[in-house]
Amino acid sequence: MDLKVDSLKCTGCRICEFACNYHQDETISSIGSSLMFYFEEKKNYYGMMVKRAKTLYLGRPEGEQLLKPGEQIEGAGASAKPILLRVACDCCADEDDGPLCVRACPYGVLSLEG
Amino acid sequence: MELMNNYKETILIVDLDAKQCDTESLSEDMVAAGLGGAGITTALYEQYKDRDPLIIGTGFFTGTFMPGGCAGVVSAKSPVTGKLCHVPFGGYAAVELKLTGFDFVVVLGSSDSPVRLWLHDGLSDLDDAADIWGKDVWDSVDKIREAYGDEMIQLLVIGPAAEAQSKASQFSVNYWGSFDKSALGAVFGAKKLKAIALRGLDSLDVAEGFFGACVDLKNAICAGAISGKYGLKDIAKDIGIDAGAIEKLASMTHRNNAAYNCPYAAAAFVKYNEAPTAVDMKGHPAPGCLITDIQGFAALHGAGLDAGQAMEQCFRQGIEPEAAAKAGKTDGVSADAGKAGAFSTAVPVSIFGSGQGDAGWQKRQALAAVLGIDPMLMVMAPEITEAKIVELVQMSAEWDDFSAEELDRIASAVIAKSA
Ligand code: SF4
Ligand code: SF4
Repeated sequence: MDLKVDSLKCTGCRICEFACNYHQDETISSIGSSLMFYFEEKKNYYGMMVKRAKTLYLGRPEGEQLLKPGEQIEGAGASAKPILLRVACDCCADEDDGPLCVRACPYGVLSLEG
Repeated sequence: MELMNNYKETILIVDLDAKQCDTESLSEDMVAAGLGGAGITTALYEQYKDRDPLIIGTGFFTGTFMPGGCAGVVSAKSPVTGKLCHVPFGGYAAVELKLTGFDFVVVLGSSDSPVRLWLHDGLSDLDDAADIWGKDVWDSVDKIREAYGDEMIQLLVIGPAAEAQSKASQFSVNYWGSFDKSALGAVFGAKKLKAIALRGLDSLDVAEGFFGACVDLKNAICAGAISGKYGLKDIAKDIGIDAGAIEKLASMTHRNNAAYNCPYAAAAFVKYNEAPTAVDMKGHPAPGCLITDIQGFAALHGAGLDAGQAMEQCFRQGIEPEAAAKAGKTDGVSADAGKAGAFSTAVPVSIFGSGQGDAGWQKRQALAAVLGIDPMLMVMAPEITEAKIVELVQMSAEWDDFSAEELDRIASAVIAKSA
């Protein structure tokens, strides 16, 4: 199972990041999340990155992309780097009611597939 | 009461006369008396009244899982009305403020030279702003983010109009203006406070069961009055905005954004420097702008201006768009638009059939300003009932004796003291 992002439906509300942080360390914040919103504000260009165990998944408006360790995150700038240090998405395997980010998203952007 | 689930328990006092920052603690008594947001900024305003305070506050639910918990409030005496006004601000800025470690910021006196306040990681730096004084809002945002080395910094910032203390000015949240129709931007200008820059990496605790209760409320909101509606265009249609302005908005809309944790995407990004459908990250560096004030957009359109570009000019100069529309131009605007009030008149009285007349609107706006809930969502989501608010206050802060009567008392006091 992997978390997938249907980026064109995303509105940038960012509650998924905070929900994941809550799953990972029981607090509300964004810095411990396996998901990371990246944003070029003046262009209103945004997408979501998900740290997976062995890859980095990018869900952006142009489509999905998987990066292996060492590959450059093209265009996402320096603000994207911290995602590499984050804990990997575990698909909320221990959460009884399903993945917190999926439950929190108001726009049906996120799903577990595979 | 478990205050750490909702607040970082710190008030920052910025004395611009002495150019000094100090902290006070946010006590349980203050929260019991005013709950949060405008309930507490009103108390701080009264406490520091003789020093012309400008107060920036986060709401009780700002930055929590409460649906719509995106908002903060700027409270000060409006140069237009001469009375205490509460202007909401959203996006991510208020969440960022709370996570800097400061729940409230009280700015007293005025500086003799331009300054900017940089809040991050529990630290407050009052820095010189001579390099950006006189610069427009867009340049100032870019320069501050560059200076502090982080693109995610959120800002409350003013442009040349507010520096000149114009009654047609407003403060801006990042590049995109604000709901400030009461010229509180001019209060920043009078203090020579160019900007407050925010980056918060702190965290809040979360009470047991609160996440699930908020998800349930969010699902009820999505299935309720807003169901089947989308974006700023549907709001515009519903509140009777001129068809030509709606068509103009729709023809340029790239996508609709939501503020932090908002189940309705009420901000339209419009593109006029490249095709609205383009999603190329390598496209035009500044393809358009983000519209939240639909009445401002419509007024500019009605004044015969190209509304997208005119909004950008207003944002850059820090001019309130309806004042610009009244003047028929976006430079040298001196008149105010007569839209100032205790709460922002950028928020419609009724949206999607939800609304309870002027008095009902005022109460919902007072609650939004106390709780830190998006003021538009408070109008369009009747599912956020007062009973539900009380239940979530009790749950979130583990505060069983908080009551509906208390909520009512707090909202009424905010309204009375700004009248
Ligand atoms: S599925 Fe769980 S672990 Fe994975 S990103 Fe979502 S909240 Fe985080
Ligand atoms: S919660 Fe959903 S809409 Fe909001 S940023 Fe995350 S994926 Fe996008």
